[in-house]
Amino acid sequence: MSQPAVSAPPSKKAAPFILEFLYKHGTLLAILAVIAYFGLTQDRFFTYENFSDILRSISIVTLVAIGITFSLIVDGFDLSVGSTVSLATIASAAALVLYRQEIFVTLLVPLLLGIAVGLLNSLLIVKFKLPDLLATLATMYAINGVQLTYTKGFSIYNDMPLPDGGTAPGKFIPSFLFIGQGELFGVPFSVLLMLFVVIAAHLFLTYTKPGRLFYLTGENREAARLSGIPVNRYRTYAYVISGFFAALGGIVLASRIGTGQVSAGASLLMDSVAAAYIGFSVFGAGKPNVIGTLFGSILMGVLLNGLTMMNVPYYAQDIIKGAILVGALALSHWQKK
Amino acid sequence: MNGLSMRGMEKSFGAVRVLDGVDFDVRPGEVHALLGMNGAGKSTLMNILAGAIPPDAGTITIDGTIYTFSSPREAKQAGIGLVVQEVDTALFPGLPIYENVAADEFVHVKQRPIRSLRQEKERAAALLRRVGLSLPPTKLVRDCSLHEKQLIVLAKVLSSNARYIILDEPTAALSEAETRRLFAIIDELKQQGVGFIYISHKLKEVQEIADRLTILRDGRVVYHGGARSLPLEDIVLHMTGTKRTAAAKQARTYRSDIAFAARGMLIDKTGTTVDLYAHRGEIVGIAGLVGAGKTELAESLIAHRNTSGEWEIDGRRYVFSSPYEAIDAGLCLIPEERRKQGLFLPESVKTNLTVRLLSRLSRWQWISWAKEAAEADGLVRSLGVHPPSSTTVVRHLSGGNQQKVVIGKWLNTNARVFLFDEPTKGIDVHAKQEVFSIIRSLADEGKTVLYFSSEFQELLDICDTIYVMVDGRLLARLPAAELTYEQLVYYCSGGEIDEPAGRFRAAVEKSGAVHS
Repeated sequence: MSQPAVSAPPSKKAAPFILEFLYKHGTLLAILAVIAYFGLTQDRFFTYENFSDILRSISIVTLVAIGITFSLIVDGFDLSVGSTVSLATIASAAALVLYRQEIFVTLLVPLLLGIAVGLLNSLLIVKFKLPDLLATLATMYAINGVQLTYTKGFSIYNDMPLPDGGTAPGKFIPSFLFIGQGELFGVPFSVLLMLFVVIAAHLFLTYTKPGRLFYLTGENREAARLSGIPVNRYRTYAYVISGFFAALGGIVLASRIGTGQVSAGASLLMDSVAAAYIGFSVFGAGKPNVIGTLFGSILMGVLLNGLTMMNVPYYAQDIIKGAILVGALALSHWQKK
Repeated sequence: MNGLSMRGMEKSFGAVRVLDGVDFDVRPGEVHALLGMNGAGKSTLMNILAGAIPPDAGTITIDGTIYTFSSPREAKQAGIGLVVQEVDTALFPGLPIYENVAADEFVHVKQRPIRSLRQEKERAAALLRRVGLSLPPTKLVRDCSLHEKQLIVLAKVLSSNARYIILDEPTAALSEAETRRLFAIIDELKQQGVGFIYISHKLKEVQEIADRLTILRDGRVVYHGGARSLPLEDIVLHMTGTKRTAAAKQARTYRSDIAFAARGMLIDKTGTTVDLYAHRGEIVGIAGLVGAGKTELAESLIAHRNTSGEWEIDGRRYVFSSPYEAIDAGLCLIPEERRKQGLFLPESVKTNLTVRLLSRLSRWQWISWAKEAAEADGLVRSLGVHPPSSTTVVRHLSGGNQQKVVIGKWLNTNARVFLFDEPTKGIDVHAKQEVFSIIRSLADEGKTVLYFSSEFQELLDICDTIYVMVDGRLLARLPAAELTYEQLVYYCSGGEIDEPAGRFRAAVEKSGAVHS
């Protein structure tokens, strides 16, 4: 005999008020605490230059993390974003320096490459049904190999010597450098770009039909399929969007540093994954969301900036990054229970 | 005394008395069938015997020794073996056969740390021969067929020296030929003195294999005796109990044009194909036991499973390869696993109800929240969802209200053919009536309803026409008004359908005469 499946009311009483509050606003409190701590201990922390620096680095992480957020929304995962950033960095640098292209091609080529990586990922995951972690682990390695092979391991920079004895014909043009270094109304352009993307993505995911269907696909793929949602199409879109935003992040990175450094995006993977997962808990959303991701990358950015100021070496910072990701995962897991 | 006997077994769950003084015994070298409808107490009795639950009262005697089992392990040591219906749950798919056969010993016996692989393989090979399997013991279990896996479980049970073996629905997923082979092996083991307790809904096979029968109804033994002397019709009558008066049913009418048909629809699990049709406004039941392939058919009709065949909706022909296409053409499925397949649990009632309506509720892809809320509130009111709010998270609704939401998302769409798969599973009586009235009003509006269920009384109550489904085949299309409950149970258990009403009616009268 089956008994009526009356589910218990949410056990709000079990979770004390303080825990609930910490879960909802813990990220914001952490950001404020971190800012206060560094502000008190580091003289140079509260300066215009430093804040502008933090915001610039946050802008890149946020762009990449929004891509990851999309893959998380459809209940997938994309490990290849770091390599895609590197690929896009190299591609735009090569277009400028080696092929003397103007701004249009310089932007188009890396973005198309990012979309191509997304299509490759979705082919493996959606079509061949490989587990997302393993498939994107493989593309992560392969794509990293592609950009290393293309450059033979050397960075691309202005007036670089070529194998045939001459120097590179092109250079980083000002219109390209404006993306990562320029300012509009005293605000770095990359920050404006990031804010625009954050707002657009947030509105898209919250208020539009496709945004809704992205979330439903991730929440219950079988129910979504039986509701007539073309789930495989939406999963494909998510990986393509992820690749696109990683490439956009790569363009901003290339423009900011003014060279095409090999494997420049490798460290961005961890930062943006952590940002996206921290975002789960912001305002108690309990699911991947763009605003949360923004706050997540602000937390990561401020923390890393302060640690660098305190002369914590970059390899030791990795320990802290790892610890933060574990904390964010534990928090989102706790919320689910 | 030689043999296994259970005397005066009693068990209650809360206020429900599941077993009310049941006596049951098995002799070495016989097959004793235990029959009853769902909820009759079969599973509880067998769970007690296998040591999974303790009885409230009663004694278990095995070969002269009285036992009180406090764990399945003790039952196993006393010589009770259990071959579960879902054999996959009893095996390790990635390990070879011989390791599976010996698995229980690894767990329970403190062995020398180093095992002799050769001995183990030889022992497994001997056991496999006993169950009539000629497979290399090194073959991986996941490469074996279902039938082979079942025999491996049997070998595993024999390896722990079981003398009384419970077979739970052993033929549910077997083909005709495989069933024959299993029966031959059972006969063989009978000769060696093994006693079997045989649980099955396939009454034809029971008659063939069983030596004796015990029939349970509402926790009591209602028949006990030789198996071959009792006609199939009488078995059904004992199982179902007093003849039910057909509920006063309003005569429904439906149109004569065919609104939905499926031809050559392949059911991947059984490898069979099915043809069916339904008129506009007709409620068509697909009746079958658990495992007959109803869910597989429903999911094939919505193209959720790999299938092949041809659909026809309102005279237009289609071939669908995904639910997206089928739904677009006017089909919809209310799935059996509501929480897993039908709902977005963390989302609100509103989001769940409007998933199919977003195009209408949005302009330039932008969802109008006001329109969406109005639409959802309207549906919540007309469905009578409780609490009457569209912002409740569906996870917190009761089963019946969740079901209303699953149905509700299709009401304002272009869906014309509704497939309901066990829609009353896990919901209370009141909600059941509400679901029925929704289904009736859908049909009255001219929608076509296919109702897949193993609840035979519900099928008779709601349907106009009933297909009998057995082992992945639709055997007959019968008007519900001319069917009795007993007949439906009889047909779905494998009874002949050649003369639909006559034969069984005669049997009913005959046994009625015996009782009076």
